[in-house]
Amino acid sequence: MNWSLLFQSYGSVFLNPEVLLMTLLGAAGGVLLGAIPGMTATMGVALLIPFSFGMDLIPSIGLLLGIYCGGMYGGSISAILIHAPGTPAAAATLLDGYPMCQKGQAGKALSIAMFSSFCGGIIGALVMTFLSPLIADVAMEFTSAEMLMLAVFGLSVIIAISGQSIAKGLISAFFGMLLCTVGMDPTYSAKRFTFGVKSLYSGLQFIPVLIGLFAVSEIIAGVERIINGEEKQGRSDEKITEVLPSLTTIAQIWPQILSGGLIGTFIGAIPGAGGDIAVFVSYGFNKSFSKHPEQWGTGIPQGVASTESANNGCSGGAMIPLLSLGVPGDAVTAVILGAFIMKGIQPGPTMYVDKLDTVYCVFAALMLANLAMLVVGCCGVRFFAKIVSVEKKILYPIILVVSLLGAFSINKNVFDVGVCVLFGVVGWLMNKYEFPLSPILLALILGPMCEQNFVRFMDLNGGNFLAILGRPIAVGFFVVAVAVILFSIYNQKKINKREAAAKTAARGE
Amino acid sequence: MKKFLALMVALVLVCGMATVASAAEYPSKGISVICPWGAGGGTDSCLRAFCEALGKQLGVTLTVDNQTGASGVIGHEAIADADPDGYTMGMITFELSAYKAQDMSDYTYENYDPLCRVNTDAAAITVNTDWAAANGITDVATFVEYCKAHPGEVMMGGSSSGSVWHIAGGYLMNATGIEIKMITYANGAADAVKAAAQGEIQGVTVSLAEARSFIGNGLTVLGVMDTERNSAFPDVPTCQEQGFDVVYATQRGMALPLGCDEEVRAKLQAACAAAIEDPDFIEFMNNAGQTISYMDAEAYTAYLKQAAEDVPKAMEAVGLL
Amino acid sequence: MKKNQSKAFSNLVISIVLLVFEIWAYVQTLSFKVVKNAAVQPASFPQFMCLGMMIFTIVLLIQSVMKLMNMKEDDPLAAPASSINFFKSKGALAGLVVIALCVAYVALFEVLGYVLVSALIAAAIMWIIGKRDFRQILLVSIFVPLLMWLVFYKMLTVNIPMGILQPLKNLVDMI
Repeated sequence: MNWSLLFQSYGSVFLNPEVLLMTLLGAAGGVLLGAIPGMTATMGVALLIPFSFGMDLIPSIGLLLGIYCGGMYGGSISAILIHAPGTPAAAATLLDGYPMCQKGQAGKALSIAMFSSFCGGIIGALVMTFLSPLIADVAMEFTSAEMLMLAVFGLSVIIAISGQSIAKGLISAFFGMLLCTVGMDPTYSAKRFTFGVKSLYSGLQFIPVLIGLFAVSEIIAGVERIINGEEKQGRSDEKITEVLPSLTTIAQIWPQILSGGLIGTFIGAIPGAGGDIAVFVSYGFNKSFSKHPEQWGTGIPQGVASTESANNGCSGGAMIPLLSLGVPGDAVTAVILGAFIMKGIQPGPTMYVDKLDTVYCVFAALMLANLAMLVVGCCGVRFFAKIVSVEKKILYPIILVVSLLGAFSINKNVFDVGVCVLFGVVGWLMNKYEFPLSPILLALILGPMCEQNFVRFMDLNGGNFLAILGRPIAVGFFVVAVAVILFSIYNQKKINKREAAAKTAARGE
Repeated sequence: MKKFLALMVALVLVCGMATVASAAEYPSKGISVICPWGAGGGTDSCLRAFCEALGKQLGVTLTVDNQTGASGVIGHEAIADADPDGYTMGMITFELSAYKAQDMSDYTYENYDPLCRVNTDAAAITVNTDWAAANGITDVATFVEYCKAHPGEVMMGGSSSGSVWHIAGGYLMNATGIEIKMITYANGAADAVKAAAQGEIQGVTVSLAEARSFIGNGLTVLGVMDTERNSAFPDVPTCQEQGFDVVYATQRGMALPLGCDEEVRAKLQAACAAAIEDPDFIEFMNNAGQTISYMDAEAYTAYLKQAAEDVPKAMEAVGLL
Repeated sequence: MKKNQSKAFSNLVISIVLLVFEIWAYVQTLSFKVVKNAAVQPASFPQFMCLGMMIFTIVLLIQSVMKLMNMKEDDPLAAPASSINFFKSKGALAGLVVIALCVAYVALFEVLGYVLVSALIAAAIMWIIGKRDFRQILLVSIFVPLLMWLVFYKMLTVNIPMGILQPLKNLVDMI
């Protein structure tokens, strides 16, 4: 660790007005983009790359990282307020964020999301600054076998997010995994479930399905509630006195922030695994080890904190393999890699030797991007929380046309809008008959990773699955996955028993 | 409210007239350029830079329209199906040569009116350094010898299934008579390159630009499948130099839908020829590690015809057909 | 509460519907391409998933049958099922109408263009859920889609079909 160079680099980033301005602009843009369902941080970064051509390296990296971090937080705004995750990585935030909003704590949920995002981002940036080479070495140990078992480990969380009926949760999960196999098979390009429809060749697009399942289904259900006279007008907090969570709240949520940030950083550091996986793992992990797992999903601050810290922790994690191996950790860093190469810098092992000052500047820029996100977020909380107080009869149609446009803009294909509507209906029916939606989502995220690595592993080992025993890290993940499954089944039994007891007690009175 | 409606009607009328009045001289308005691949990728960045240069020549703005999905089929078909008025064109890529054989689309190069080839990137034979050292592999000849002694045992990575680098393995097999096993990495070349550096597979058949973060750092290049050496890697010999006639590259070029006005075509072809010389574009492509290899419309059409014959053969070799 | 209105009964019906779907999906996988010398066939993974779904559907089926058998007719404790019977529930009918509107939206998206079709659906939904303030309906349904289009087209350079409002785009291009 070269301390003087480190301080010098931080200084050159934090004291450079151009970098400050660009990062702030990026963060503001990222928060807004992230908040629109269907516009992801990846698209934001890709769209702004041409603008960064004319800039120096560090301001342009500041701009891109600002969008990246801002987008990660921005996605949670729409997840909390309108049940439409703005980005895939915010999909787990609505599990507790939306119930909080319905309780009239929209402002509180937003400020917790923002604070946790910030802390998670800082944890990621710190880990990246001090442990980069170490973590990069671990990431290099991940081959197909480890990736397969990492996916299995991620899937083990399903029971924890299934709700009352484990059978229904698992049906949802397998259904999600089946949906992933639509399209051309990744190994032999065989067409599966395509029915001759060309738009299905590359499979169901994730974002239209996500928007359909959560946002469109919620609008259909909302219309139903309004007609049946069951709809309550949303209200924002009586008064938002503080834009940051109070000390008592922070005392409640710090364990989740810490563990979420670390989980996010670690999962982000593995190439091919990103924020969308990290949030569910963090949520499931924290729920399983909570003293009151039955409260999760009813709108508690811990739930929001565990997911938001994880997805911003990811941004730091994902930069590690990018800088030290030249392998992007997720879709956004893949685009950022392009930006480095445009400037004539090839990230990779040699970068730590030849361009250490640039590496440190990137660390500093990430730190700055998180600060910028906090500043933008603080200014925005009061404003965003007002959205809830818009009359529902006006809000629902607006959300619908915005969501459907988001589904369209991913591929500019009307077919995707149709997919979005179809899954809106599926989501509406599933909600009615108490099939949980989040297992489908988790399966959609992890399914392709699971299948690709499984098939590749079998291919490499001539069809001998037992060869996995020779990979200790993979076996380790598998053991943990089994433990998580058993533990969450036990937990669910406990929750169901407590709820039954509460019901009997209520009837007794 | 009535006033508002009247205003809207007036606006619409004005717009309508504006379009009629300006249709006399081409190009009189912005041109939309379809990119069959996603924003931020290699094709997209190449196309955006080229559009910038082309815009300077034509004096109008060119907007890139990413119509993605179905492994590029959607975008490619959209280019061919567009109005042949000269205001929609697109970038066609290597994959067009593979669609018909895989029964993904009925469209071939014959459904397009090619303008020019913009860029090619040659594949290279890159192997894991430790593995090569352990088996005495130093160049293409020793590699081929080893593969002949161990048929079907050597595993090479080549990006996603049916992709240009996956099919590169088939070209290599057909040209040298060896048998290797191609492993697919659906997330792209970066994963395959990393796996080769880790030793999960023995090597990759991707371009030098894709592999460069690990070249000299776990990976060794045996030869590049090109007619001349890559200017960024002058020490890497070509396969031809080593006596193996394998020339294989991904390619990108501009194309119009069939049936455009002759005058419009000539104007666009001239603009393309001039845009390729644009210093900003050249600098951009150098930085991005992409090779500019211009071909005019005629030569490009002949090239596409050749590819339509060769690609299916290579696909058969890797087991895609 | 009658037995056939309970949650357990609806679960039974759902699991039968799901089983039909699963068998259909499994039959589909049988026609996938078969690859020679492949360690795992393209059809294998979807087949595993179908089987997994089937196993837990059968579990759900058995659970609901058990519950129905233990349940007395007119059990006051049985949880009621949600209904999508749109003859009885006005809400479900409205939900269905919204779905139909969405389907029409998709069908007309390219013909009419985003702005117009969105304005129509927004106005229609506001009318259905009982909004009667015409000024607000018009303002929201015209300006929201228009604004979204401007943001996507001008700021994010995302091209969105305008259908019959194409002249509007030409106008914006000129500015």
